[in-house]
Amino acid sequence: MAEVALLDVGKSYGAVEAVRGLSLSVAHGEFVVLLGPTGAGKTTTLRLIAGLERPDQGHVVIQGRDVTREVPAERDVAFVFQQYSLYPHLTVYDNLAFPLRSPARRVDEKTIRRRVQQISELLHIEHKLGNRATALSGGEMQRVAIGRALVREPSVYLMDEPLSSLDAKLRAELRLELKRIQRELGTTILYVTHDQIEAMTMADRIGVMSEGALIQLGTPREIYERPNSAYVAGRLGTPVINLIPARLLGGPVPPQVETVGLRTEHIRISTADGPGPRAQVHWVEHLGDQNHVHLKLATHSLVTLADPVQPLKAGDQVSLEFESPLYFDQAGRRISADGLRGHA
Amino acid sequence: MSTLAERAVARTPRRLALRFGGMSDRAIAWLFITPSVLLLLAVNIFPLLWTIQLSFTNYRANRPNAVLRYVGLDNYRDILTDPEVWQAMQATAHFVLWSIALELILGFGLALLINRGFRGHSFWTTIILLPMMLSPAVVGNFWTFLLQPQIGLFNSGIALVTGVDPSSFQMIGDVRLAPWSIIMVDTWMWTPYVMLICLAGLRSIPDYIYEAAEVDRASPLRQFWSITLPMVMPFVMLAILFRAIENFKMFDMVNLLTSGGPGSTTEVASITLKREAFEKWRTGYSSALAIILFVTVFGAANIYVKALNRVKQR
Repeated sequence: MAEVALLDVGKSYGAVEAVRGLSLSVAHGEFVVLLGPTGAGKTTTLRLIAGLERPDQGHVVIQGRDVTREVPAERDVAFVFQQYSLYPHLTVYDNLAFPLRSPARRVDEKTIRRRVQQISELLHIEHKLGNRATALSGGEMQRVAIGRALVREPSVYLMDEPLSSLDAKLRAELRLELKRIQRELGTTILYVTHDQIEAMTMADRIGVMSEGALIQLGTPREIYERPNSAYVAGRLGTPVINLIPARLLGGPVPPQVETVGLRTEHIRISTADGPGPRAQVHWVEHLGDQNHVHLKLATHSLVTLADPVQPLKAGDQVSLEFESPLYFDQAGRRISADGLRGHA
Repeated sequence: MSTLAERAVARTPRRLALRFGGMSDRAIAWLFITPSVLLLLAVNIFPLLWTIQLSFTNYRANRPNAVLRYVGLDNYRDILTDPEVWQAMQATAHFVLWSIALELILGFGLALLINRGFRGHSFWTTIILLPMMLSPAVVGNFWTFLLQPQIGLFNSGIALVTGVDPSSFQMIGDVRLAPWSIIMVDTWMWTPYVMLICLAGLRSIPDYIYEAAEVDRASPLRQFWSITLPMVMPFVMLAILFRAIENFKMFDMVNLLTSGGPGSTTEVASITLKREAFEKWRTGYSSALAIILFVTVFGAANIYVKALNRVKQR
């Protein structure tokens, strides 16, 4: 059964359509990540589910109940904000206990103590319970904010880029922890990010959004391997997929193919003369474990990864070989290798 | 490529460069701050030291040629045992406490209302701020007319609402009502100021904290107690500090409204000081009183600022 469902939801701010015609359902215990650039409508989607915004059209359904007209307190959701939304004058313990102390919930202090203890151990902040919320580091604050969502057992957790204000190391750490917690507790999470690594590593399903619309929804693998458009293909993979006009590459391509999408794993570089198109090495970026190679193919540039042991230097002439690349038509829709318009 | 400093040097006019060219940075710094330091010494520090010195003498400014005698701590002893001074201190405390209490309640309430951001709230903010922008002397004069029992608007207004005879009571002339008149006028004038500071505090609370609380099912009352009040507290305390210092030395408005009367019911400390200094010409005595008031305010403000910092750190 769907824990949360959006049915043809739309929301505008003045002339700006933040979300349009969005339908999405999140199953019980599922981790769904909404991925997209700034202004794609991800946060608005979360706020619509939480009840912090009212939709202009469509319905929000939580656990089979239409909650479209209900205020946030009536919906059974927890929200983690991008900023550390802690109550600054309260201790960590009181911050964590805050949602449980709502008169609407009537939880006795003993249960509260047990829950807070449990959650603080889960998030490794049990030694900070007596601290004031403002006397914590950024990572600890965000743990408390996540913890404050976790002490409740709502039907869905809504998380709005909770890790984006942390440094890279902490982000990687909390990413793993969050996934572990979600698996252990079997919680339903709808998570918003513009970070493709977070999306790929944590999500059961990824929804790619652009300009207020959900463009593709699928497992990380599906989205990566069978994107339905060049736009979606561009959201995932580092370095970014290379989109090259088909006529530049020569060789056999399915009919109607306008653009060829080349990811690192689709490109093989050989210094020996090969049958494929020839390119010039423009420059090489050394990242330690791998090299970013910038190639010039006629008028287009390509970026790909190369083994650091492969001796490439600027100015080298190389020949390229392609292995099952992605094909896109004029409108940017993907065409499968057998010439059919593919949908994931 | 040249550094910013090099470019600044290149663009300095030649004559200016010649004049300052030979000086070290330190010398130039001294050159710039010396006028301010001298001014501060002349108008602040020197008079303070002079006052301290006078407070140990029997000096009278209207008899500059009389023999100056050092009386030690006699002035201080006389002041601290003088029932009139204690009465003035009580009048001051009454005035300061009540005016601040009323200004806080009204100012905070108005700030909460304005912060809701209804239509035309900026227009109303400006209207509310008007009294604060007037000169205290003007306010004092206006209110003397407004509170005049026969022709004053205030009495007529009260009469209109309650039906009592407008000339049956007088705000300024009545022993019981006079202290409340000055509290009322001060509240009228300075509530907007307190509102402004509280409003700044309310605006500094980010929306997402309230949104988080809303999702956490906190009632509006609980949001007020656990978010609004604690987060505005440092601002409120700052408003109290400013108002307390101001009202402790309140002179102009009270002097114009009641001149300390009737009797000495509204004689706040600064009025006593003025009487001793410029009506009775007891310069030495009044210097000692001024020092006592200064130390009191200074000490209280220091203790208060420490408390304020503790609240802010939380």
